[in-house]
Amino acid sequence: MSLDLDRRGLLGAGLVGAASIGLGTGASAASPAPLAPGRSMADFTGAMKAFRGVVGAEWVFGDEDAVAPYEKAYIPDPAHRYKPVGAVCPQSLEEVQAIVRIANQYRQPLWTVSTGKNMGYGMTSPATPGQVVLDLKRMNRILEVDAELGTCLLEPGVTYQQLKDYLDDNKIPLWIDVPTVGPIASPVGNTLDRGVGYTPYGEHFMFQCGMEVVLPSGEVMRTGMGSIKGSTAWQAFKWGYGPYLDGLFTQSNFGIVTKMGMWLMPRPPVYKPFMVRHGDMADVPRIIEAMRPLRVSNLVANCNLMMSASYQLAMFKRRNEIVPDGAPLDDDSVKKAAKANGLGMWNTYFALYGTDQTIAGVEPIIRASLTASGGEVLTAAEMGDNPWFHHHQTLMQGGLNLDEIGLLRWRGSGGGLAWFAPVAAARGVEAQRQTALAREIVSRHGFDYTAAYAIGWRDLHHIIALLFDKADAAEHQRADDCYKELVVRFGAQGWASYRTGVNSMDLVAQQYGEVNRRFNATLKHAIDPNGILAPGKSGIF
Amino acid sequence: MTRSMLIMLAAALPLPATPALAQQGGAPAVALPVRQALGKVLPQRSPEQVYAKVCGYCHGRNVGPIILGRGLPAEAVRYIVRHGQNAMPAFRPTEITPAELDALSQWVSQSPARKEEHGQ
Ligand SMILES: Cc1cc2nc3c(=O)[nH]c(=O)nc-3n(C[C@H](O)[C@H](O)[C@H](O)COP(=O)(O)OP(=O)(O)OC[C@H]3O[C@@H](n4cnc5c(N)ncnc54)[C@H](O)[C@@H]3O)c2cc1C
Repeated sequence: MSLDLDRRGLLGAGLVGAASIGLGTGASAASPAPLAPGRSMADFTGAMKAFRGVVGAEWVFGDEDAVAPYEKAYIPDPAHRYKPVGAVCPQSLEEVQAIVRIANQYRQPLWTVSTGKNMGYGMTSPATPGQVVLDLKRMNRILEVDAELGTCLLEPGVTYQQLKDYLDDNKIPLWIDVPTVGPIASPVGNTLDRGVGYTPYGEHFMFQCGMEVVLPSGEVMRTGMGSIKGSTAWQAFKWGYGPYLDGLFTQSNFGIVTKMGMWLMPRPPVYKPFMVRHGDMADVPRIIEAMRPLRVSNLVANCNLMMSASYQLAMFKRRNEIVPDGAPLDDDSVKKAAKANGLGMWNTYFALYGTDQTIAGVEPIIRASLTASGGEVLTAAEMGDNPWFHHHQTLMQGGLNLDEIGLLRWRGSGGGLAWFAPVAAARGVEAQRQTALAREIVSRHGFDYTAAYAIGWRDLHHIIALLFDKADAAEHQRADDCYKELVVRFGAQGWASYRTGVNSMDLVAQQYGEVNRRFNATLKHAIDPNGILAPGKSGIF
Repeated sequence: MTRSMLIMLAAALPLPATPALAQQGGAPAVALPVRQALGKVLPQRSPEQVYAKVCGYCHGRNVGPIILGRGLPAEAVRYIVRHGQNAMPAFRPTEITPAELDALSQWVSQSPARKEEHGQ
């Protein structure tokens, strides 16, 4: 537990008495929203005025009420640090370039979002003070869909809903792959934060192909084959020539992605979803050991969700329906509630995609090994319209819903959620140790272990939903403490997050080591000398 | 309406609404669904569409409280959409445009309850 305070905290402390605006962020009198370090009020107002000249006054937000929608976040923020000072909303590449030039002139930092629904990671909240949100939601053109190659080219503001509607309206037999909050989130935003979904195309960045990026200088660069005049392969061949660049623009602050190519899975003739029900919390290693060979061999091709009963219950139930308020969430009570709802203590969802013949060929092999792990292998025939089964059945075919937002009402009504998502290799023993450590930490802070494992090709994302009541000040503070302890103690065991919220970007960056940090900082200073793009994203300044 | 009044109103959401208001209005004539064309930004959507593509995934589906058929004041709807209420995320003018929100808030306010909706 010896890691330094995150730099964000130090920055915040250093800002007491620095320039601030009195109107920005909902707490004007008590704690005015600070400007970025070293920037004056004149810089800020100059930049905002110039932004209005580019996008029109109606698409620049600076006063308290107008900025309010950019302030809502689920993450713990007891010190009210993660507040933007404004927002600017362009609708074209040229407007983005003009905004970047102005930002350089006034040294005004910009926090880029595509659809800004990074829920449980900070939504549109920037990682450091004084940033103006660069909101790209208005750039929402679907530029190309190639039904034969199964590719598309999108602007950042296209939601999964828009893309799905477009495919359906035009009867194009391609699927999308969604994170569980598809309707309001975007392929571009999700992929740039390296998010995941649940069809065989679930590891989103693997299925990304070609980008157009506005660099901090205002220049426009295309990656992959995109810079070759006349190339028809921009969305077909990922790597281009020389160093592979696309990764530099994910989880980073090196550019503003204004177009992104992506592969779409052809709708298979047959889709068959399964749920494997295991009865005990202690079944964790058995499930992982059984799933790994199926995943590594690609017999099971989609990213599986192995859901704890408590996570599942939290989607549609309130905590006080299971145990009285204030009582710990004990395994017996959870087991009883799970059973009453057709669930086990762990519920693992996977699907088969193919033809009747191919599925009939592999299903017995898969059933045999999962049954040997002690699980009951269930399908729509047994689960019927069970709401949990229905939810996962929808997800694993790229369907849309927002069922999981129900998690935010598990505990009180204040809506608090922070995702803690450490990575491990897909080994039973690692998952067993992670589950034990997580349970020890969250329960000591008075929280519940509402968690799932996303079983990837060879890895595990342990997805822990730290749910708390943000309306309860003491609980809010405890959630903040608990989250930091999770990061630090998991890190000490060699388990670091695959992605994190603005509340912990610096802390996690420290865990990945000084050499890596310096390398990122060297790149940053070379391409963004004025520090205008998202300072603090992934701990990069 | 002041902000504190709106917040109080919002807090009262889970209570049954006065049916009188809800029954008067009803939805405006059903507009043809707006389709997005290749290379073009999403055109303005009707209130029914915004409800179906955004609100209705939670409200009436056991995730958020039922909001149709309760005569909620349009102003409260507008406020809650922009600020996010408790577990609900906020929606920015770039997501639900000012014109869409004006129409949506009136429509929600006047819409009758839907039998198929459920939830708390
Ligand atoms: C209940 C619940 C379930 C969830 N389930 C999942 C899940 O299954 N899988 C998953 O991955 N996530 C999940 N999330 C987290 C999150 O909501 C999604 O990942 C969502 O897709 C991210 O928001 P967005 O798509 O609007 O991206 P944005 O918020 O627009 O972008 C995310 C980040 O990427 C960067 N970025 C975005 N656009 C650009 C750009 N154009 N140029 C440069 N950088 C950019 C920024 O740093 C930004 O903060 C869940 C959240 C909740 C509350």
